[in-house]
Amino acid sequence: MSDIRKTEEKGFPRVKPATDIVEAEDGFYIYMDMPGVSKEALVIDLNEDEIKVSGRSAYPAPDGEKLIHVEFGNGEYYRGFTLSHIVDKSRIKATLKNGVLELHLPKAEKAQPRKIDIQMG
Amino acid sequence: MVIDFSPFFGAQSPLERVFEAIWSPTLPISQRPYAYPPLNISEDQDRILVHCEIPGMDISEIDLSLTDSSLVIKGERQPAKGKYYRQERPTGAFQRVVNIQSPIDRDKVSAKMKDGLLEIVIPKSDGAKPKKISIDIA
Repeated sequence: MSDIRKTEEKGFPRVKPATDIVEAEDGFYIYMDMPGVSKEALVIDLNEDEIKVSGRSAYPAPDGEKLIHVEFGNGEYYRGFTLSHIVDKSRIKATLKNGVLELHLPKAEKAQPRKIDIQMG
Repeated sequence: MVIDFSPFFGAQSPLERVFEAIWSPTLPISQRPYAYPPLNISEDQDRILVHCEIPGMDISEIDLSLTDSSLVIKGERQPAKGKYYRQERPTGAFQRVVNIQSPIDRDKVSAKMKDGLLEIVIPKSDGAKPKKISIDIA
């Protein structure tokens, strides 16, 4: 890796992506806003109970254009979560669409609600 | 249950906490102290470029219109179905208006979207481009 690349990496501010955590019937869903992050630039690490998501947004560099108004820039998105035993780690699914990462965390069989028959005495 | 631990953001200074409260993404769009969605504007001799971060939306869901002197970006972000444990992503209707002061070629304005990043290219009309005038020196 060249020195220039290293300096560029240092210059990227670390951003916490806006995140929603939703529980639905078929498990939990984590949605993360990561605009500008392509599939290739996204890394999801699952280590025991920790899931770490990182991705670099690639805002197209101005090509001879003069920037007149700036409200966002390049950034390195990073966020981590701890999963509880309710989540079936072997069936976690990730989808990246339109700059939103969707993580589907299905509940483990044990965690599914169980109906208990009541017998009348 | 999923717990957010965000290890790199745990130790915050009081000043950072104040900033986080002001810039909190959990606020509804209408109560935010800054405009949503964020946009960047750049230009060169031939065109004006508008970049806008609107993750989670398809280009068909975004309403783009050109008035005499402005570009209007409109849309609405829908919440997901289910029980929310944490909600930081903004939802609801949004609108941004970009004033355009130079004459533009309205028929050639184009827009595309990739990875939640909207790019609008507005070509300038010939009248807006700087003209070179040759001066004959006698």
